Amino acid sequence: MTSWKSHLRSQLSRRDRTEKLPFTGVFTRLSETQERFELRCQIWEEMHSKSLENAEVDDGRQTKLLHLQLRESEHLAEKLSQTVSDLTAVLYLKEAEIQYWQSRVSHFHKEALRLAKGSNRMKSVLSEYEFTVECQGKELVSLQKEKERLKETLAQVQRENDQLLQCWMDRRREEAYRVNEYNNTQERWHRVLRHMKKHKEKPGTPEIMQTEATETQAQSKTQ
Amino acid sequence: MADDKDVLRDVWYGRIPACFTLHQDQVTEREAEPYYLLLPRVSYLTLVTDKVKKHFLKVMRAEDVEEMWLEYEGTPLKWHYPIGVLFDLHASSSILPWNITVHFKDFPERDLLHCSSNSVIEAHFMSGIKEADALKHKSQVVNDMQKKDHKQLWMGLQNDKFDQFWAMNRKLMEYSTEDGGFRYIPFRIYQTTGERPFIQKLFRPLSADGAVHTLGDLLREMYPAAVTHEGAEKRLQVVIHGIEPLLETPLQWLSEHLSHPDNFLHICIIPVPSD
Repeated sequence: MTSWKSHLRSQLSRRDRTEKLPFTGVFTRLSETQERFELRCQIWEEMHSKSLENAEVDDGRQTKLLHLQLRESEHLAEKLSQTVSDLTAVLYLKEAEIQYWQSRVSHFHKEALRLAKGSNRMKSVLSEYEFTVECQGKELVSLQKEKERLKETLAQVQRENDQLLQCWMDRRREEAYRVNEYNNTQERWHRVLRHMKKHKEKPGTPEIMQTEATETQAQSKTQ
Repeated sequence: MADDKDVLRDVWYGRIPACFTLHQDQVTEREAEPYYLLLPRVSYLTLVTDKVKKHFLKVMRAEDVEEMWLEYEGTPLKWHYPIGVLFDLHASSSILPWNITVHFKDFPERDLLHCSSNSVIEAHFMSGIKEADALKHKSQVVNDMQKKDHKQLWMGLQNDKFDQFWAMNRKLMEYSTEDGGFRYIPFRIYQTTGERPFIQKLFRPLSADGAVHTLGDLLREMYPAAVTHEGAEKRLQVVIHGIEPLLETPLQWLSEHLSHPDNFLHICIIPVPSD
């Protein structure tokens, strides 16, 4: 039992030993005596009033005592009857309480069965989920490997692609260079021709013009 | 749910021996003998003092009789507080039996409520039960009860029938396992000093993280002075039904087992007696 509970129980017991038990006997006895005294007073008053009404009848001491005992017995029987009635009521209450607790037991029993079924169901679902998780884990591992392989392939392809692109770019660059040179040559050739045309129109030095034309042809041949 | 039935029985059957004496200012036809009675801690004065009243009325003139009221050492005793609470607050350190003075005149209007009949006590008692259930279950349990069930609670208290009372009261002590306890704990903290009659606030049996609240947690929140720190001198006692529970007692358990019949936990904070 927990310490606070046992402390509480002992405190209640100590309290009753101080406040209740020393006085219960005396007070109960006093109350019973007072009750008997009041009953006797009541009987005495009744008998006294009856004797005043019937002045000729003298019941005698013995009769009065018997009457008193009879009334006290009736009073006691009444009290016992009340006690029986109270105990019967308590009995009914206890029976009702038993039925109530039995219904609670039954309810909790059903609840326990339901929970047990639910628990078993959840266990089987859990094992299915665990199997699924295991399969998916394996699948994940293989997919990750596949992914790594594809990444490597992609990297390889990208490298090749970059190389091809570089190669193509180099070729285009060379071609562009050649075209530019050709264009430059063509431009110079046209310049020379224009120049020659001008000189043709006016008298000039044919040697310079011959040299320029020769250089221009040599350049166009090398390209 | 409440299942420490021996504790429930000890709480229900707690008794205080009392000696009722007529006040000397009361005019009587002959000398009035004191009246001795074992008072149930969980009941109310006006519910159990019919015999006291009858006893003293025998020696008084009818014209001198007004509403009966009781006092202890000059303090009028509030009938709407449980008897055990009154004793623990005012007379716990006095010698037994508890000497109570009876008056039939000069009713202290400012200190006491009138109690013309048992129906007034019943109304007050049922009001307490409903208020407590509003805190515990949002009034769902008490509202689901029939009128005869309410009557059974009252009759159980009135006639001092433990089984009759608890056959119905156990429903008010139930809660679902998911909740782990009541919504709020119905409690009142009484003190001997100050203007305030009692302290009553909202307090849950479990903390936000699911930890169980104890009596100590409640007091640290509501009345920190009642919690004595290590090494310090103890000045105050925390008394419920005449005993001092340990501060680590779970509040939910206390509410289920040490509540009064009105379903409230009545806690008295009193000075440590100087012997």
